[in-house]
Amino acid sequence: MKLLNWTRRFSRRGFLTGSAAAIAAVATTGGTVLADAHAEMPGTAGLGAEEVRTLIKFTRDLFPHDRLDDSFYARAVAPLQQEAAEDASTRRLLSNGVDQLNRFAMASSGKPYVDVSGETARIAIIKKIETGAFFNKVYNDTIVGLYNQSEVWPKFGYEGPSSAKGGYLHRGFSDIDWPEKA
Amino acid sequence: MPAKFDLNDSSVVVIIGSGAGGGTLANELAQKGISSVVLEAGKRIEIADFKNDEDAMFALFTWLDPRTTSGSWYVAKTSPDLPAWTCKLVGGTTVHWGACALRMKEYEFKPRTRYGAISAANLLDWPIDLHEMDPYYDRAELKMGVTGTHGIPRLPVSDHGKVLFAGAKKIGYTKFETTNMAINSVPRDGRASCQQTGFCIQGCTFGAKWSTLYTEIPRAEATAKAEVRSESQALRIEHDASGKVTGVIYVDSKGVMQRQKARIVAVAANSIESPRLLLNSSSSRFPQGLANSSGQVGKNYMRHMTSTVFAIFDKPVHMYRGTAQSGIVMDEARLDTRRGFVGGYQMELLPQGLPSFAQNIVPGAWGRDRASIIDSYSNIAGVWLIGEDLPRETNRITLHPSRKDKFGMPIPNVHSDDHPNDLAMQKHAIGQADALYKSIGAKRTVHRLPFPSTHNMGTNRMSEKPRDGVVNRYGQAHDVPNLFVSDGSQFTSSSGENPTLTIVALTIRQAEFIADQMSKRAI
Repeated sequence: MKLLNWTRRFSRRGFLTGSAAAIAAVATTGGTVLADAHAEMPGTAGLGAEEVRTLIKFTRDLFPHDRLDDSFYARAVAPLQQEAAEDASTRRLLSNGVDQLNRFAMASSGKPYVDVSGETARIAIIKKIETGAFFNKVYNDTIVGLYNQSEVWPKFGYEGPSSAKGGYLHRGFSDIDWPEKA
Repeated sequence: MPAKFDLNDSSVVVIIGSGAGGGTLANELAQKGISSVVLEAGKRIEIADFKNDEDAMFALFTWLDPRTTSGSWYVAKTSPDLPAWTCKLVGGTTVHWGACALRMKEYEFKPRTRYGAISAANLLDWPIDLHEMDPYYDRAELKMGVTGTHGIPRLPVSDHGKVLFAGAKKIGYTKFETTNMAINSVPRDGRASCQQTGFCIQGCTFGAKWSTLYTEIPRAEATAKAEVRSESQALRIEHDASGKVTGVIYVDSKGVMQRQKARIVAVAANSIESPRLLLNSSSSRFPQGLANSSGQVGKNYMRHMTSTVFAIFDKPVHMYRGTAQSGIVMDEARLDTRRGFVGGYQMELLPQGLPSFAQNIVPGAWGRDRASIIDSYSNIAGVWLIGEDLPRETNRITLHPSRKDKFGMPIPNVHSDDHPNDLAMQKHAIGQADALYKSIGAKRTVHRLPFPSTHNMGTNRMSEKPRDGVVNRYGQAHDVPNLFVSDGSQFTSSSGENPTLTIVALTIRQAEFIADQMSKRAI
């Protein structure tokens, strides 16, 4: 589900859900017209392994929690993989975005994005693309996919559903003692 | 046994919406022997369908039909297609509400008199006052089982409340408590007491929170005087040559267009949908929309001054545990223009679960700073600042000129610009909440400007004179004697209090009036 995130990023006011608009926005970001590497392969199944690896790294850079290992970010990216496998325009959007990250990474560090070791350097790359449709798509989807994993919740101290356990009435709804009694 | 009324039965009251206004009206009328058909756009679910899952419940019960926004308000930037968080199901937004049940204050019924003329605001006194409303507030509180009233014990203080109260005391506030809540602190009225689940907003799985879904509506049905038709969206209200309403065109659960005849129609679809329906019911007799000779239908949209301050401590808070909003500081809920604004505001607990907190805390942000806030989740406290915003004619619901919903009805646009008074109050409130939390050791505070509006008011407002508003002191349309407005859209001003208790009190009063007028054959 992708509904809870009330505050999606919008490249411009109003709806930006159409793939055509998304592609147009990508093509104009960064000042270079991108060659559409996958134009000849509409409907080709799925993203490549390197592309997925890049998306996982990118997602971690957007939402960097040292307490979470890569498996959580991989699960956040999985719905994007699924969508890319089913929809050629999503596939193009994501592949082009990864290409763009890599191009900027090669220009600044001489390496693909995933191999750029410094977080600061990767942040500088992200800043070049953060107004584009690729960024917004990945941001809007993975912010949901990451924090909605129930396995993530205990990592932040959130206990999730409580009703089946009888709520917190006898399980610590009022157990802290550090605030001065008012 | 629920009643079953014929589409051609023109003796019924047709009620559009089943929330605090519509659900309550159906039961109040039923108890007086008056028959009603309730048209509810949403589905019917039961308590057993509620889940302790923010995302799943949001998807299940939110009104997600297309809407657009305009204006300078923050929500139009961050949630342009979701201006309000209201619900689409039997029970309406009473399934989701936080259950803070506060009476409006004496001065808040007379804002034009007490605040004076304010530039770029459309202030008007209510045609009723607190003295007149007090007995109906009493009845609403007893009906809903409001804690702290009529001898009903208050709820206990949660960890989250302890933090709020400690800060309040530290900075010299004196009016704080666990809030008058329409949540059972003890078993009452056939419903269980609060188990401190922390999921009030997702629908109370124990039924401890008052909602029309499992109180008013089944009771109305048990009289055989009410029929609730779910998944039935009203499109248009019809009238005869004399200008009286005669029925409602709606799309039923099978997608078939129907006409339910009516003796009386009561609109209770919340402050975006109710004016939308009246505007969409224009005719040669009512070219500006039904009951809109004043031109005020859809105008004066109010949504409360709101903001949330989240404070990060170095000790645990566990804000997600316990009754969500059971904690209030009321010291700023007063009229004192030395603060630089008219009207007052309340400070109410606002916890969020990890998913909604993490996804919405800093809209659009990414990187280490944002992540560090979420890393502190278990040590965070949150307070919602909710105060009176001023009515403006230009803040309004209009029909979209070209976009239509799946039934061909124009979708609503919600336009809002903050009044300078709203912004002055917001700044003050955020400053006070900062001071409150910092006084007890908050390391950092994060200011979250308004979420999609949960309090929506004013778009069919009550007025003494027909030229100033849409309905009279009983919610009866000035232009159409057998048309009523029964939700928060009849509010003349927003006050600094959560609107539901006032909606219920007004509805109890309105039901008495309708019964009286029917018996006199006046309508």
